[in-house]
Amino acid sequence: MALQDQPNTTPDLAAPPHTERRRLRVRGTSITLLKEVQERAQADLGFDVAYELLDFIACQRKSAMEPEGYDIYEQCFHNLDIVWFWGALQPIDTHRIADWGKITDLSKEGGISKYAWRGHGDAPVRKLYVQPGGFLGPKQGRHISMLPTVHNMDSFGFDTRIFGDGDLERPSWAWLLDRRAKGRIALVDEPAIGIFDAALAAEAAGELRFADIGNMTTAEIDALMALLEDRCRQGYFCGSWRTGEQAARQLHDDRVSVQSMWSPVYGNIGKMAETFVESAPIEGYRAWHGGASLSRQLEGARLDMGYEYLNWWLDGYAGAVMARQGYYMSAPESTKSTLAPEEWAYWYEGAAAARDLLGPSGMVVVKQGARRAGGTYHDRANRIAVWNTVMEEYNYATRAWHRFIGRVNEVQK
Amino acid sequence: MMARPNKPLSQEPRYRLITQVLRSNIISGVLPEGLVLLEGPIAALMQTSRMPVQAALRMLSAEGLVHRFDGRGYLVGAAGQGVAPLRRDIGEFDLDIPQQVDAALQMRGTWKHFYDEVEEQVASCQVFGEFRIVETELADYLAVSRTVVRDVLSRLQERGLIRKNASSHWIAGPLTARTLREKFELRAIVEPVALRLAAPHIDYSQIEDFRDRIGADPGLTPEDLEDALMEHCIAQAPNTALVAMIQNNQMLLTSVNRALTGLGLPEDEIALDQYRTLFDLIARHPIDSAAEYLRDHLHIMARKNLARMKIVAVISETVRIAPYLSAQ
Repeated sequence: MALQDQPNTTPDLAAPPHTERRRLRVRGTSITLLKEVQERAQADLGFDVAYELLDFIACQRKSAMEPEGYDIYEQCFHNLDIVWFWGALQPIDTHRIADWGKITDLSKEGGISKYAWRGHGDAPVRKLYVQPGGFLGPKQGRHISMLPTVHNMDSFGFDTRIFGDGDLERPSWAWLLDRRAKGRIALVDEPAIGIFDAALAAEAAGELRFADIGNMTTAEIDALMALLEDRCRQGYFCGSWRTGEQAARQLHDDRVSVQSMWSPVYGNIGKMAETFVESAPIEGYRAWHGGASLSRQLEGARLDMGYEYLNWWLDGYAGAVMARQGYYMSAPESTKSTLAPEEWAYWYEGAAAARDLLGPSGMVVVKQGARRAGGTYHDRANRIAVWNTVMEEYNYATRAWHRFIGRVNEVQK
Repeated sequence: MMARPNKPLSQEPRYRLITQVLRSNIISGVLPEGLVLLEGPIAALMQTSRMPVQAALRMLSAEGLVHRFDGRGYLVGAAGQGVAPLRRDIGEFDLDIPQQVDAALQMRGTWKHFYDEVEEQVASCQVFGEFRIVETELADYLAVSRTVVRDVLSRLQERGLIRKNASSHWIAGPLTARTLREKFELRAIVEPVALRLAAPHIDYSQIEDFRDRIGADPGLTPEDLEDALMEHCIAQAPNTALVAMIQNNQMLLTSVNRALTGLGLPEDEIALDQYRTLFDLIARHPIDSAAEYLRDHLHIMARKNLARMKIVAVISETVRIAPYLSAQ
């Protein structure tokens, strides 16, 4: 930061008073805390934006229990069941969000259109509006818990040498428990995310049936864990990961044939991209929705800075950076005007890439002629099977999940 | 200290009694500023275990009467005064212990000396999963006989905190959202009924008193009001079996609530308004409207408790688990 870079000079009595540059502290994950976003935000807003980058689980825990450590909290709607109810955040007044009207129905209503699949679990709209008594719910009102920003429909990636290119045999979540990939399967280690990848796999494989996959009972969680433990004993899993870098490393080391995946990782796996591709599962996607919230302790001028930052997020630039790593924005029109037409066509419209496309850091992440799996934004958002969710039995599920992941990692040693 | 009109001191949790003694001795100056307060010596002096002393020191710290410092224990006085630590045996100070409090600390039956501590440990472990209590280890931990341990265990069983499994082992937990939901569903079914039955037997002037104190008396907590509702309204129903069933159903919820707060979970600040409305309806309106409101109130409480149960997930299992509890 500028002040620290200045040479140390002897204090001069006539020197102007020392003024601190204003600073906004943002806590979040690798989804949104990108250098390109930070630098542009600082330039546009005229204050420093200090990032604190954490993994998913640490971010949720620390943000709930230590709200004095940040001004802006960036994570996902499903994390609000923890962070909001811990009392760490304050409501956002939508009257202070200039582009509130540009945010789409997927965020505000729960589906991209009236006829789209709604998805099991908690669509972000069910955590969006602040209701009487401090609850969060879908009933529209002026105050919201989190400004909806980036989102995506996730699936898994697979090795075409084992499963084919997906034309003859359509990709199914069942592949995450498939004998053909035994010993080369990895899951994302986050209990509100990975557990659904595993549950979708178990149901697709015909092993289990959930009355409501988005709100499992303890008996269903026990059954799922027993199945996973059994597959673990048989040596199906080669590991788990918490960050995109870890997921990419599994691929670079040629350890996996099928694993949970996040969009940016596909652009970061070098020549493995020739054989390891994104799926568009027949059962639909596991979706998530991110956003930004205001810390409980923000007030006065600092609160104003918080609102400036939130408004800036909807302005277009951040959305364009997000698009280049495969994530969609809640206010797509501003993003469209910032992206090059061929970028918009590839990422949002499912068209073949007219040229090589660059990722946020300037590396080529999409080769000319490639097409995004699953097609257009509309097609993908139409097929949401389940949302990342903090279920009623989340505490129970989390502890069971951690025991399972502990076992997976033990086997690896 | 908030008033609990019909509750004798001997039934007050010990940490409250200890808090009361320490508080009055700090305010009166018997315990000088800067004095280092350690759990062990205070526990010995009060003839209790360390657990309630810990809780008492936390409460006094929240009140600003003591503060943590760069060493073991707490210092008397508010933080930031720069007072040097004064290390002296608390026994040297002639602590003023009101006779009633002294008696209350002594009078509790032998098992009661340990009960609060064990209950909190057993209730809080359940959020982490299923645990077995080994009788001999609990006896070692408390340094008491197996007979005393059995008294403690049967009380825990009565409150629904532990059960015996097929091989006759004492088992605690796991506490699930489903358990909480079911207990609240039952409350919403039976408590409004009991309130209707109790209507002719309620002392309405007492209820008006409580209503007037909400907001005016900052010491009045939602827990106090829940107790008052039980004692002065629901328990007045002329059906002892029904009242016993209601009390029994609430026991686990009460213990869990206390344990979760002990683990550092935030408390509910909105509930007071609901109690104000509820007490107002009971005191001044036909009992049906109060019974309806009570049912709604219990639905809201259920949602809040389920939301609270989720956030427990971020508390790490490395939180102290008593040595006599072994994970299953």
